[in-house]
Amino acid sequence: MMENSTDDYRIQSFDLDTQMLLKTALKDPSSVNLEKVSNVIMDQSLKDQVFSKEAGRICYTIVQAEAKQNNGNVFRRNLLNRLQQEFKDREETRERSLQEWVCYVTFICNIFDYLKVNNMPMVALVHPVFDCLMRLAQPDALMNEEEVDCLVLQLHRIGEQLEKVNSQRMDELFFLLRDGFLLQEGLPSMARLLLLEILEFRAGGWLLSSTAHKYYYSEIAD
Amino acid sequence: MSDWTRSRRRDAHSSERDNDSGPSRWSHCRKRGVDGSLRANREADGHHKTNCSHTDNRHASFTTPENAGPVSRCARRADWGSQVEDDEMRRDVHRDMQRYRRRILGAEVTQRERKTSSGSSGSCDSREGENMETDESVLLRRQKQINYGKNTLAYDRYIKEVPKHMRQAGVHPKTPNKFRKYSRRSWDQQIKLWKVKLHAWDPPTEGSPDKVLNNIDELGLDDVMDIELDFPTLSDPQDAPASVTTRSLSLEGEECLGTPVKVQKTDTTVEPDMA
Repeated sequence: MMENSTDDYRIQSFDLDTQMLLKTALKDPSSVNLEKVSNVIMDQSLKDQVFSKEAGRICYTIVQAEAKQNNGNVFRRNLLNRLQQEFKDREETRERSLQEWVCYVTFICNIFDYLKVNNMPMVALVHPVFDCLMRLAQPDALMNEEEVDCLVLQLHRIGEQLEKVNSQRMDELFFLLRDGFLLQEGLPSMARLLLLEILEFRAGGWLLSSTAHKYYYSEIAD
Repeated sequence: MSDWTRSRRRDAHSSERDNDSGPSRWSHCRKRGVDGSLRANREADGHHKTNCSHTDNRHASFTTPENAGPVSRCARRADWGSQVEDDEMRRDVHRDMQRYRRRILGAEVTQRERKTSSGSSGSCDSREGENMETDESVLLRRQKQINYGKNTLAYDRYIKEVPKHMRQAGVHPKTPNKFRKYSRRSWDQQIKLWKVKLHAWDPPTEGSPDKVLNNIDELGLDDVMDIELDFPTLSDPQDAPASVTTRSLSLEGEECLGTPVKVQKTDTTVEPDMA
């Protein structure tokens, strides 16, 4: 039974020792070096896009386990501070590797999604997440399919939540997206398609009407 | 270099070591380190290097909070880890407030019904709901003080040993109610007394010398660490003369044991960390 649930955390990409470390962290957090665990997770998220999309889950479970076991939050604190460090260096990261940058944004958004405090999103992450998305909406980023892809994926997943905590910044973001869609010369058609879809998605209250869905997704097998 | 200068340099060096950003000199007695990690088997693991610099053996359940250096406790901490923690504490306090209000209102209704039926003259308990402490900064400060007390081995052992329904008033320590209106001095005193009582559940240690002395030290340091730089409001007239002194350490000396000599000794050892 345990094996099945750890598969959900997508830890197969780790080496066996690390997998063991993570599994122990899930069951008995106080017995492992939680700072090391948070670094391991962070490092992998920056390399592995598949993992970064779902890493929030395993983080959430470890946070809960630690809180339950001894009311601690060592893991959460270390994870957040590492996240903050990477956030400070994000422009450098982007210049060095688009892939790593995109993985970072995916990861921080995933953390925002999963790690709630008393069922509320972590206030400390709201502005950083918006900063990342705004960066993705800049003209230079819109030219890169990976970045546009990442942007729309995050908005699909957490756009509604983000808007609830700060609608003004969401408006600002969408001004950029509209401008990009309408005015940006040389924008690849794929990027334009993705932008149009997200514009409609938000306009529809973070839902796509069935007709719009048909338009955008009819080619995709159900 | 003269002997005198050499020994001064050595002293300066050792006090520097105590002040560095590593564990503070009292950290070995806390249940949890400054990064939040549990110091599970402290005694079994042996001592940290900073422990060796102590000549006196502090009690194992010493609970002085970590001193992070000359940072204003009112300043918003910039790292995300701390921001989320502070946020969480704020939310917890608000949630506690709502729960408490509901409980009080429920109790008030029952009491009012009872009074009208029995025809007895009421006490002022029924107005507790209107008279509760709601200032967020006060509640947060009080919650922090309570957390320091609960973050001890003694408290852990206490709650395991004595379930709530077995607790007797006066005998068993009871966490002060942060929602009641109290003067600053009164509250701080309640916290002090509560912590002293909790010491009865301290884990046994090897050769701890003067237990009373340790208690004074602990009381002094806790309060010094917690007190913000504004002076407490004076609601009790008899407290006026005592408040003239600069630090509550002297106050505790007078109130608790009237032994200024011991207090002074504590004073000098505390100074470096009070920065």
